[in-house]
Amino acid sequence: MRKLNRTVTAFALAFLFAGSGAFVGCSSSPDEAQMKQLNDLNEEVASLEKEVAAAEQQKSALDREIAEKNAKLKKCNDDQAIVKQRLAK
Amino acid sequence: MKVTTVLFVLAALLVVAIGANAQEMTKEQWQQEINKQTQVRNDLSAKVKALAADVARMQNESTQLDADYQKCLDELYALVGSDQAKAAAYRAEIEAAENNAGELMRLSDADLVARADDVSALAAKVKSLWENKLSLIPEFWDRLTALNDKVKSLQGTLANQVQMYTVGTWAKDRDCLWNISKKKDIYNNAWLWPKIWQGNRDQIKDPDVIQKGQKLKIPKGNELDAEEKAAAKRYYGKKGGA
Repeated sequence: MRKLNRTVTAFALAFLFAGSGAFVGCSSSPDEAQMKQLNDLNEEVASLEKEVAAAEQQKSALDREIAEKNAKLKKCNDDQAIVKQRLAK
Repeated sequence: MKVTTVLFVLAALLVVAIGANAQEMTKEQWQQEINKQTQVRNDLSAKVKALAADVARMQNESTQLDADYQKCLDELYALVGSDQAKAAAYRAEIEAAENNAGELMRLSDADLVARADDVSALAAKVKSLWENKLSLIPEFWDRLTALNDKVKSLQGTLANQVQMYTVGTWAKDRDCLWNISKKKDIYNNAWLWPKIWQGNRDQIKDPDVIQKGQKLKIPKGNELDAEEKAAAKRYYGKKGGA
């Protein structure tokens, strides 16, 4: 019986030691303000990602628009050359 | 029994404490995450800035291209002594002629014959459109070329239509080849009667004999060809000899 009590005491001590380690761990966690800072940063990143996606979409639409306008302008210049040739005949 | 219970409770508490501790972020992990996300934010901010600059540059380029195109069009129309407003009106005229041609192309041959005057009017319209110097511009040139083809096709269809005439009675209509040929809506020229004879040799053996109800083909043309002249000569020769 005494032997058992010693075992219990030893186990309880071990638990307290381990438990104290856990509490020490808790005390090194970021506080509420720091977590808010991280959350704000994450939100800012998400918002910037959306901005980048929208800007890239706008850029590719402008790319197409410019290509079409260049083609139209080229055709107009070609037409001018053809009309000059026809007028010269 | 009591000792076992104490052991069990202690073990359970330990497990809960460890589990709770494992779910929470440590300060080091927080710092790492802050550093990582700060870098991502900075990269993204730089990218947004660069993209905004690209977009602004491209919008300017697009606006400049619009201006260049308008200038090019003005110069193009000026080459033929015109301007954008006149070109727009000319374009509308071509479109109307195209619609007209499309409508005529959809008609049956019989309906087309009935609207032969519209084909002639269309041909005249296309001719007048060609006379405008704007026709030298490829856009209009190509459309007028296509219209020409349609007009030619319509005229070809009309030319291939053989007019028919149903013979009436001598008593009422005075129908003989000479008189039929003399009719205004046939040849308006009695001397062209051999055309009708030669065009209907399958059913007219003797040009002096035609029957009521006979359907005669009226060949196109306003003068006799060599074969028709020869046939007429033979006929008058026989008559003279008789």
